[in-house]
Amino acid sequence: MAKRRVRWLLTGSAVAAIAVAAALAATAYGGSKAGNNKVIIDGTTGTVVNIDPANEYDYDSFTVDLPIFQGLYGFPTGAKLKPVLATGCSHTKNLKTWTCHLRHNVKFSNGDPMTSADVKYSFDRVQKIKGDQGIFTLLTYLQSTTTSGQYTVVFHLNHPDSIWPYILSTNAGYVVDKNTFPANSILANTDTSHMIGTGPYKLTKFTAGQQAVLTPNTNYWGAKPKNGGIIIDYYSKSSTMKLDLQQGNIDMAFQTFTPTEISSMKKTKGLKVHSAPGVNIRYLVFNVKRPPFNNLHVRKAIAYLMPRQTIAKRVWHGTVKPLYSMVPAGLPGASQAYKTMYGAKPNLAKAKAEMKKAHVKKPLPITLWYTPTHYGDVSADEYIEMQRALNASKLFKVTLKSAEWAQYSGALGKVYGAFQLGWFPDYPDADDYTVSFYQPQSFYNNGYANSKMTKLIAKERATTGKARIANLKKMQTLAAKTLPTIPYWQGDMIAVGRSNVSGIPSTLDATYYMRFWLLTKS
Amino acid sequence: MTGTSLRTYLLTRLALVVPMVFILLTLVFLLMRVAPGNPIQAALGGHVPPAQVKIIEHRLGFDKPLYTQYGDYLWGIVRGNFGTSISDNRPITQIITQNGAATLELTFFAMIVAIVVGVSVGLLAGRFRDTGLDVFGRMFGILIYAMPVFFLGLMAQLVFGVWLGWLPISDQASPINQALLPAHTNIMFIDAIWARNWAALWDVTKHLILPALTLGLVTAGVFIRLVRINVIRTLRDDYIEAARARGIDERKVVYTHAFKNALVPVITIVGLNFAVLLGGAVLTEETFNWPGIGHELVLYVQNRDYAAVQGIIIVFALVVVFVSMLVDFLNAYVDPRIRY
Amino acid sequence: MAATASRPVPPRGRARLIAVGRATKPIREARGTARGMLWAGAALTLFFVVLAAFASFISPYGFNEYKSNGVRFAQLAHPSSAHWMGTTVLSNDVMARVVYGAQTELKVVALALVMSIAIGVPLGLLSGFFGGPLDRALVLINDVLLAFPYLLLAIVVAFLLSNSSIGAGILTAAIAITAAYVPVYFRVVRNHVVSLREEAYVDAARALGAKPWTIIRKYVFFNVVQNVPPIATLNAADAVLLLAALGFLGYGIQPTQGAEWGYDISRAVSDASSGIWWTGLFPGLAIVLLVTGLSLVGESLNETLNPVLRRRHFGRIEFPELGEERSDD
Repeated sequence: MAKRRVRWLLTGSAVAAIAVAAALAATAYGGSKAGNNKVIIDGTTGTVVNIDPANEYDYDSFTVDLPIFQGLYGFPTGAKLKPVLATGCSHTKNLKTWTCHLRHNVKFSNGDPMTSADVKYSFDRVQKIKGDQGIFTLLTYLQSTTTSGQYTVVFHLNHPDSIWPYILSTNAGYVVDKNTFPANSILANTDTSHMIGTGPYKLTKFTAGQQAVLTPNTNYWGAKPKNGGIIIDYYSKSSTMKLDLQQGNIDMAFQTFTPTEISSMKKTKGLKVHSAPGVNIRYLVFNVKRPPFNNLHVRKAIAYLMPRQTIAKRVWHGTVKPLYSMVPAGLPGASQAYKTMYGAKPNLAKAKAEMKKAHVKKPLPITLWYTPTHYGDVSADEYIEMQRALNASKLFKVTLKSAEWAQYSGALGKVYGAFQLGWFPDYPDADDYTVSFYQPQSFYNNGYANSKMTKLIAKERATTGKARIANLKKMQTLAAKTLPTIPYWQGDMIAVGRSNVSGIPSTLDATYYMRFWLLTKS
Repeated sequence: MTGTSLRTYLLTRLALVVPMVFILLTLVFLLMRVAPGNPIQAALGGHVPPAQVKIIEHRLGFDKPLYTQYGDYLWGIVRGNFGTSISDNRPITQIITQNGAATLELTFFAMIVAIVVGVSVGLLAGRFRDTGLDVFGRMFGILIYAMPVFFLGLMAQLVFGVWLGWLPISDQASPINQALLPAHTNIMFIDAIWARNWAALWDVTKHLILPALTLGLVTAGVFIRLVRINVIRTLRDDYIEAARARGIDERKVVYTHAFKNALVPVITIVGLNFAVLLGGAVLTEETFNWPGIGHELVLYVQNRDYAAVQGIIIVFALVVVFVSMLVDFLNAYVDPRIRY
Repeated sequence: MAATASRPVPPRGRARLIAVGRATKPIREARGTARGMLWAGAALTLFFVVLAAFASFISPYGFNEYKSNGVRFAQLAHPSSAHWMGTTVLSNDVMARVVYGAQTELKVVALALVMSIAIGVPLGLLSGFFGGPLDRALVLINDVLLAFPYLLLAIVVAFLLSNSSIGAGILTAAIAITAAYVPVYFRVVRNHVVSLREEAYVDAARALGAKPWTIIRKYVFFNVVQNVPPIATLNAADAVLLLAALGFLGYGIQPTQGAEWGYDISRAVSDASSGIWWTGLFPGLAIVLLVTGLSLVGESLNETLNPVLRRRHFGRIEFPELGEERSDD
């Protein structure tokens, strides 16, 4: 009968399925055991935009550039700025002319020698191309670059700039091989034969959205990397990355896990979560010209109610720390101005007093804006907690609104009254956390233009050493008084590695650099 | 006579493709430009001063009037230049060949799973209508279709990847193989065979199993229903009655006559559901970190990357249009009644 | 001419009842598996409708509630007597989010279906009946939209709308889903109308001088509309999946505006790999059950209404005894 035939078919396929399952179990999938034991595989969520340093201005692209290129100054170990390709720079009293001497006997990864001509070529190139990612804006003060012999470069600025060496450490100042990089256009990311730098690694292969493969530079002038190469694997979801890390398919992961995943990995055998205070911050911006936020007392009340501890503990599971100034703790010149003025914890009584002085409706209806994907899904949770805290005080009635990043980033202060933003430094110095925010015509259009602050900025840029630090501190105090923004957390730098990977703690510091050449796998 | 009308049919269908693509291009162009924000803003807003952003926007032509941008774009397409994506600087053609190949690999194997499971269960359910087998088959089809792809995928990852540890749960191949295997066709399965790297082939196959099974099973749910209906319809046809009346063995009637004819529309079904498969591929690619074109599209939409979104959508639509045209053509070849 | 006894014409109201009775006859005649499926599906669907309608009574907490009596709920708590399905990372009760999620899903899907039918059916009717260049143009545009994987279409529309003045929310999600389904209704209705147009009785009506509107109203509309219910229920099932997919990708409804199962699953994915299964399992099961219920209803409607599949069940046939007189008429 047909039915019996069918029954045979079914049992037959069931047996076959079991056989296949058994075969799979026998050759159980686990880890990248096949292959080079000295190559470290790093997972990351994020996208590379451009590897060519002349048009690169985002953190994920920077992570690939850092092992390949170098600048005159840099942060080889730790957060102290040191000369790298230069041996030192001197400057004129007016801080407008900088003369730098280059290290001798440095070769590019293809064997070409590095000379002052390459340095001039690199800077000229960035300013000529004016890439659409905007990194050239870091070189706004640079008027021209000249060379004086094979190993001396002179930078002519049109404005005094005490932090010029910091600019030299960003990828705007990375030195590229004049023989392989075109002067007028950007190299494609896959053009590995021309992507030549002086760093410890060279780019061997790049597959967009999937992998970047780095192998050691045999012509490197410094200490050889401690591993046999790096493969950076790109993931779209951190959960998949976590599973792969647990299974051993990747050796480490850096950027970005959710707080729940990090808490869980702290308890997972075989994995080690490394963290250190980092320098990325999150803050709330006010458009100080738009009601009701143009009322300083309203802003002060919100400052008194900001639930930093709740956000750090409940939303981020302790992977961020409450922040009391736009300058994160750990950088020279950082103060805790907001703590001094508004206290470490929310203060309902003082908030009520401020709202009384504000003479506004109670509860005051306000709208807070956030962006749901650019900073991760968890950013929605932050604002929900803020809403809860402000509503619970009965002083405010908060409506939350969101917009996708592409629209959000164009609107900001132009459209919104109070909105969320985060910040990754261009260079790890307090200057990058103050000037960008407090200058009039800041990038987020919040209408803040305080003449005292503007003067302080000019002073800071024109001074060095202790005087500069004093100016920075004054700026932070003034900011806490006038409240253009309210910073609320500073994130830890977190990397998770399997227990056989060592060296990660040595690269976790205020620079937020992942120095792959310091890592080893046993 | 048959030849001419078939040719006319083919030509008419082909001729229709051009206006269809044109309409699609225009629709997508308008949709993307209508939304506020542009890719430059997405990349630079948030850390570059607005004055600079404006300069760059002007340089790239984003502030030109809409019809100028439209004209530029069409002219570029005509010359074969689909442009470069703005958010990650990739030529559109490269995105399509590289990521499109990955999606092709996934959908091909998923289609095999869908056909094998869908057709066999559908045939059995239709043949043994209203018996336990039928009910089981249909419930299986309904339940499997009701399960969201990402949910099924997640459970598969947890069970087979994490708890049992039998299978990998992401990517096309292990990182080492991805780095070392030379890419000729960008379909890793074929590339592994090309390089005669059997270890890599086994690795690639293992990586294919979960995503293809997930996507294939969910699609099979659709097939089961359609195949079953076709079988029932065929079994009622006159020639089946006639065959039975002639005294032909029931088994032969069912397997030789009915199934063969019931399977002809399956080609149509497969072709027409290709769009469904491509849609489901997006979710599968997200879940399994498969570097396919659906996943890229989601990212580009988020970044308002006009060039990339337009290019990818056109290709998607072209593929579906050509597949459905092929299917219609096959149908018309087989059944002269359908000739317009 | 033989006088046939004319049947009395029933009054208008009763005539309508008879018509309805005739229309639902196939459903009432359904037997066996089709009937079983219909009832099972209807029960499942009704369960969720009840959940949605009486959410505030059934759910122990609001979907946004994170504390009671001033005490916050535990974060990511296991299912317990206090929280039958556990809590989420935001200290929301999972069961509350599942129940209110039913409300969101059904609201969006109902809205989307109504809009799709309201746009697709009339367009298909008019286009099919009047034909001409407008018809050809519409068919072309429709084919283009159909060629498109509908998830991508919905993503693009949802994305654009969520950034416009309408903002993200129920209406946006509904419009995105409508955009994906209008072409389906248009095609089915139009094709049916085109084939009906050539029918003898329509020709006759036209010959008698009936206006087009009358023809459509009397003869075509009800014929064509019969196609809609099976497609509508199957589309509703699809729409739930589509909404969940949009939520999963982040284009649906934001967590503060309402509970949505797909979004909850997307957040739960990272929980799952950490051993936290309740945040994802319950919304996932809810989706499966609702879609299954709707599919069962749709499938069984198809079995009963589709003439190809329909099975007629006759009563017992009695043959007259041999030898009895046969009455001659």
